[in-house]
Amino acid sequence: MPLGPPSSAIHIQPAVAPQLQNVLRTPTHITVHPVALFSILDHYLRRKDDQDRVIGTLLGTRMDTHSGARCRKTNVKVIDFHIGGVDTQHRRGTDSRTDASSTGTHVEVRTSFAVLHNETSEQVAVDMEYHRAMYELHRKVNSKEIIVGWYSTGSNLNTYSALIQNFYSQETAPHQAVHVSLDTGVEPGQPAGVKGYVSSPVGVFPKPENCVFVPVPVELRFRDSERSGVDLLTTTALSSSPSTSSSPSLSSSSTSPLSTLTVFESSIQNIVSMIDRVLTYVQAVLDGEAKGDPAIGRLLMDTLGASTDDLEGGGDTAKLEKGGFNARLQDTLMVSYLANLVRAQAEVSSRLALVSAA
Amino acid sequence: MAAALAASLPTPSAAPAPAAPTYEAIPSSMSTLIDVEAEIPLQCVQLDGLVVSKILKHACDSNSSSPIGLLLGLDLDGVLEVSNSFALPYRAGDDDDKSAKSVARYQASMLRSLKEVQGDDSIVGFYQASTLGAFFNQNLIDLQAIHQDKLRHGGVVVVHDISQTARGNASFRAFRLTTAFLDAYKKSSFSTSRFVPFLSDERDVTEEAIYSLASHQLTFSSILEELPLKIHTNPLLSAFLGEFSNVSPNTAPGSSASAIPPSFSVLDLNSGGLTQNLEYVVDALDNYRNEEGNLAYLSRQIARERAKADNYVMKRKEESAARVAQGLAPLPEEDVTRLFKIPSEPSRLESMLLLGQVDAYAKSLAETTSTGLVKMYAATAGSSV
Repeated sequence: MPLGPPSSAIHIQPAVAPQLQNVLRTPTHITVHPVALFSILDHYLRRKDDQDRVIGTLLGTRMDTHSGARCRKTNVKVIDFHIGGVDTQHRRGTDSRTDASSTGTHVEVRTSFAVLHNETSEQVAVDMEYHRAMYELHRKVNSKEIIVGWYSTGSNLNTYSALIQNFYSQETAPHQAVHVSLDTGVEPGQPAGVKGYVSSPVGVFPKPENCVFVPVPVELRFRDSERSGVDLLTTTALSSSPSTSSSPSLSSSSTSPLSTLTVFESSIQNIVSMIDRVLTYVQAVLDGEAKGDPAIGRLLMDTLGASTDDLEGGGDTAKLEKGGFNARLQDTLMVSYLANLVRAQAEVSSRLALVSAA
Repeated sequence: MAAALAASLPTPSAAPAPAAPTYEAIPSSMSTLIDVEAEIPLQCVQLDGLVVSKILKHACDSNSSSPIGLLLGLDLDGVLEVSNSFALPYRAGDDDDKSAKSVARYQASMLRSLKEVQGDDSIVGFYQASTLGAFFNQNLIDLQAIHQDKLRHGGVVVVHDISQTARGNASFRAFRLTTAFLDAYKKSSFSTSRFVPFLSDERDVTEEAIYSLASHQLTFSSILEELPLKIHTNPLLSAFLGEFSNVSPNTAPGSSASAIPPSFSVLDLNSGGLTQNLEYVVDALDNYRNEEGNLAYLSRQIARERAKADNYVMKRKEESAARVAQGLAPLPEEDVTRLFKIPSEPSRLESMLLLGQVDAYAKSLAETTSTGLVKMYAATAGSSV
């Protein structure tokens, strides 16, 4: 699940020698929860007029996805390379960075909060007191979430970014801080997207204002149970786009939560349109209008094969067809009857309480 | 609203600047929206996308059964715009006084912090997550009663149903207490009886009885009134989400191309959780029966005490009548209430709430089954069963 436009960066997997499993490693993977992103967007909307970008703290968890001995050697990598706002492409040899002072290769960003900061041409100031206070407040609600890094809007990585990164690295020590930069897509030429970075010192003498921001892949991740909420927001967001001349107040969109059956219906329509799309594609390939893609062909084979397996084996549909339909119908009707009976009784009982008083 | 905004757009400078020391004239188009005394009644609640996702996350993360948080926002022309929210810490212990204080402190400093980063800092209500639609509980009623007293417009409570959301349909509903219930709640009289305290005189009784359950016609369904709720995403968020759900053309087929792939959990034929739902109904019924038992016991006791008192009064009257007949002075009037301790009429609130829970569980059961039926017939539509 890529967040944003494809980039040419190759993401490094630090080579870890088997005997050094317990050594802390740089984060190689960042997942972001929608709440964090939405908070950043909200913060961006509420920024002051003179603020170019906003920054804030990311809270989340770290875990080690690479359990057990795992050794991968990569010899040459091309990485996006930023020093003091200058973007360069740089070719580096491998240094197996097992001595890097970091842990948990997988960083999960669960939430974020805004932090006051002030940037002028001479200096940058971050309200650390505010940051600490907010962190303490968040700790009270969810003690599992710790500081993992910071966010900023816009993709401008400069000296100040390095300084802020340095500050957050102290906060997250001994782990390494991650930096998530979010392009809001408001400025022309900058498509909306999310990028993740970790930093490493650069130069002969490491200075806080110099560092390399090494890109790390970012993914959007949420629980299955949160899925429907995200769906609700997406439908709300997308329903606004065409022909909103009648809708009030500046194309901001709003819908009401739907009933279960409406969601069901739209889901079925979605599938029907998907099948239609596949059919048109297959028809086009058969007619020789389009060149067949073997990957798609294999995927289609898998999908169709799976469903026939289901029919022969013990899939839900198969069970229904084998006369289980009537049994199940009876069960469902029975439960439905019971539920309505209970409701009627509850209603009667509450009325009786009133009558006995009179 | 649209007309009002459109009219105000060409002259943005005329809009009242809150910080400016000199007050400019409010444009006539906006003046109808200026609502200092909260006179425009609330017509609907509008949840921001940020709030939706925050509630969802809190509901999933929290280890308490009904996580609670506060809603922040503003009201404008009858629409309560909820633009932010934050979770309240889970109160584990029973040391109420201490934890209540720490929650209050937490709340105050959170509001202060949000204000510093230009966030909304006015509380407009609270949210509560529940399972299977059973959100009736004492906690919710108490909190909302406090809010309705203190907050502008009385505040709202947004109820989020975890189990329905897990089933693929995010459910949010907005409620507030009905005036009838609030009235009864303030008088804290949830007895059904007309004779609230035992009184030998009839004159006070009528006055007291006005506030009883029956006169308010209160059932569990008339405790809360529902407000229409809308989900709202600001243009920036819409654009962002649109970008995510777009299928980018140059990714390999097979890998999910968009950041938010389509989901088909609603198509799952097994409407799961039926058994659990049934269990909940049975549990709620059990609880209700216990409560009813308690109530019945209490009312029997009251009846017994009252009969005793009545007997005593009767005897006394007879005695004094006999004395009058004999030409003696009647017995002096005595305060009967002091002789007989008659327990006060038990509160019916608890049982009413429990009944509301039973109803809510049964309702969600009925809804699940009806959807299940539709799905079953849909699945077998093609074949001849």
